[in-house]
Amino acid sequence: MSVLLRGGEGFPGTVAVASVSKRFGHILALDDLSLDIHEGEAFALLGPNGAGKSTLISIIATIQQPDSGSVAVGGHDVMRSPMKARKMLGIVFQEPSLDTRLTVQENLDFHGRIHGVPRRQRLRRIEQLLELVELSEVRHKIVRGLSGGMKRRAEIARALVHDAKILILDEPTVGLDAQSREKIWSYLDRVRGERGLTLIVTTHYIDEVDGCDRVCIVDGGKVLALDSPDALRSKYAQDTIRARPEDIATEQAIFAAFPQARLRRNGEIAISVASPEAGPVMDRLRGFGRGVRYLSLERPSLESAFLNLTGRELRGEQAAALGRGRE
Amino acid sequence: MTQASIWLGALHAIWLREVQRSLRDRGQLIGGVSRPLLWVLILGIGFNPYFRAEVFGQVRFAVPFTYLQFIFPAVIVLNIMYTAVQSAVSLIWDREFGFLREVMVAPVPRWIVLLGKVLGGATVALGHGCLVLILAQFAGVQLRYANLATGLAYMFLLAFALTCVGIFLANRIRSFEGFGIFSNTVILPLYFTSSSVFPLDPSLTGAQTRVVYPEWLVILVQYNPLTYVVDHFRGVFIGFNQFNPWAGPIVIVIVAAVFFAISLIEFRQG
Repeated sequence: MSVLLRGGEGFPGTVAVASVSKRFGHILALDDLSLDIHEGEAFALLGPNGAGKSTLISIIATIQQPDSGSVAVGGHDVMRSPMKARKMLGIVFQEPSLDTRLTVQENLDFHGRIHGVPRRQRLRRIEQLLELVELSEVRHKIVRGLSGGMKRRAEIARALVHDAKILILDEPTVGLDAQSREKIWSYLDRVRGERGLTLIVTTHYIDEVDGCDRVCIVDGGKVLALDSPDALRSKYAQDTIRARPEDIATEQAIFAAFPQARLRRNGEIAISVASPEAGPVMDRLRGFGRGVRYLSLERPSLESAFLNLTGRELRGEQAAALGRGRE
Repeated sequence: MTQASIWLGALHAIWLREVQRSLRDRGQLIGGVSRPLLWVLILGIGFNPYFRAEVFGQVRFAVPFTYLQFIFPAVIVLNIMYTAVQSAVSLIWDREFGFLREVMVAPVPRWIVLLGKVLGGATVALGHGCLVLILAQFAGVQLRYANLATGLAYMFLLAFALTCVGIFLANRIRSFEGFGIFSNTVILPLYFTSSSVFPLDPSLTGAQTRVVYPEWLVILVQYNPLTYVVDHFRGVFIGFNQFNPWAGPIVIVIVAAVFFAISLIEFRQG
């Protein structure tokens, strides 16, 4: 009940997930998961394949229903009033969902019509959105002939034809080249600024997550961590110091001094340390003088925070998919 | 905008999409044009001379129409049936290519989505039925305002009912290949056993019919609901009924209601 009060009518851009569980056969996809998404923030969901991200997204999007718990979108319970919840949402699915036999314009127009956007407003908005995602020139082309990046951009534009307050993007940049990915993020930033949208994103690309306000790391259907990218880094990741010993004697001396040190294939020694200890460790290594050819300090990445939390590489998609066979 | 006008707009959008898509589907258009040409012009004209009152000099049939006239209403039914069932393929297509999700997350009730789809498919099927009507004068069928209006109304009803059947089938067969096979194993057998290409002699009694034709065939024809539909269209277009003229409309309405209801229940469950 408290969830519904918090996400009342006055907060159209919020999502409140309270104790949601969802089971598929004997697999528990979501395990008593709770989280709150605030109005106007960019919220990233990060997790290995099979973590429960897509299930959570489907429940928020009113496609699936939770076995227990409740979800409120813009203050509307997704089970009791899915129609009202849907009005708040713009969704870009993981799999392409354009009608490839219609033109770009027709796809967007269809979306506007079924969302009840009045004609004049619909046409104006389609015009603006196509301009934003740089598809004005291909608007009358049949979708089938467009590139993957163009289709994705068209889908993003489509999700915004109606007055969505929350934009959900499930892996919006997967399979796209770096340039297209960058473009998509620049459009998203612009729209967010103009409309004050709440953004919910799942992605495999950790550098994209860095631009978000908060990151939620999920695995096994549970929230493992939820914080800003910087906070996650300092809390869960370690610095890596790399040193190149000049001779065997120095190498052995370093291993003796730092039991956690590992030898890399290229002859470097890597030492993982918590951030505050990085300085002293560096100083001690400098003490070896000429015995160490070079020294470097790597600040932690979100990826390593993720690895530490889940014990899995984010991009080990194939292996993870084989092991879990879901999503 | 009121709720009702939003829903009406959504209904229109879904209907419009179905129509736009099938206008661009060359294969469907080619089938819709070539089928009546084959059945009416080739088969109809080819068999026309053999269809008459004498067999081995013995008078058996006394029928007041030609074979072309006889087969014409059945070809209308055939063309509507093919197109209606085929347009339900778009449901499989939507599911396969993810478009269904786009519709499912729209703030529109499921029954509107389904109704829009069925109305769209029915409109296209009605159009293909009308392609057959163009050949009316070659078949020697007189179209007057009265029978044309009644005919079109029933053609639309039939198209609606058969699109519901198509969606029912599409829910069971979730791949293109499976659906192609199914439509051929359902459509053609139903068509051939609906007294469409050969007549059950109107002048014979039930017992006599069983002498002329093998009993199993007579039973198949009599149990085939399409028989009564074809018979009804014959009544409308050439003024000839073998059965009660109301049997056809009753069959159409029941089929439409039952299959729409089943499809809606299944659609709601996702």
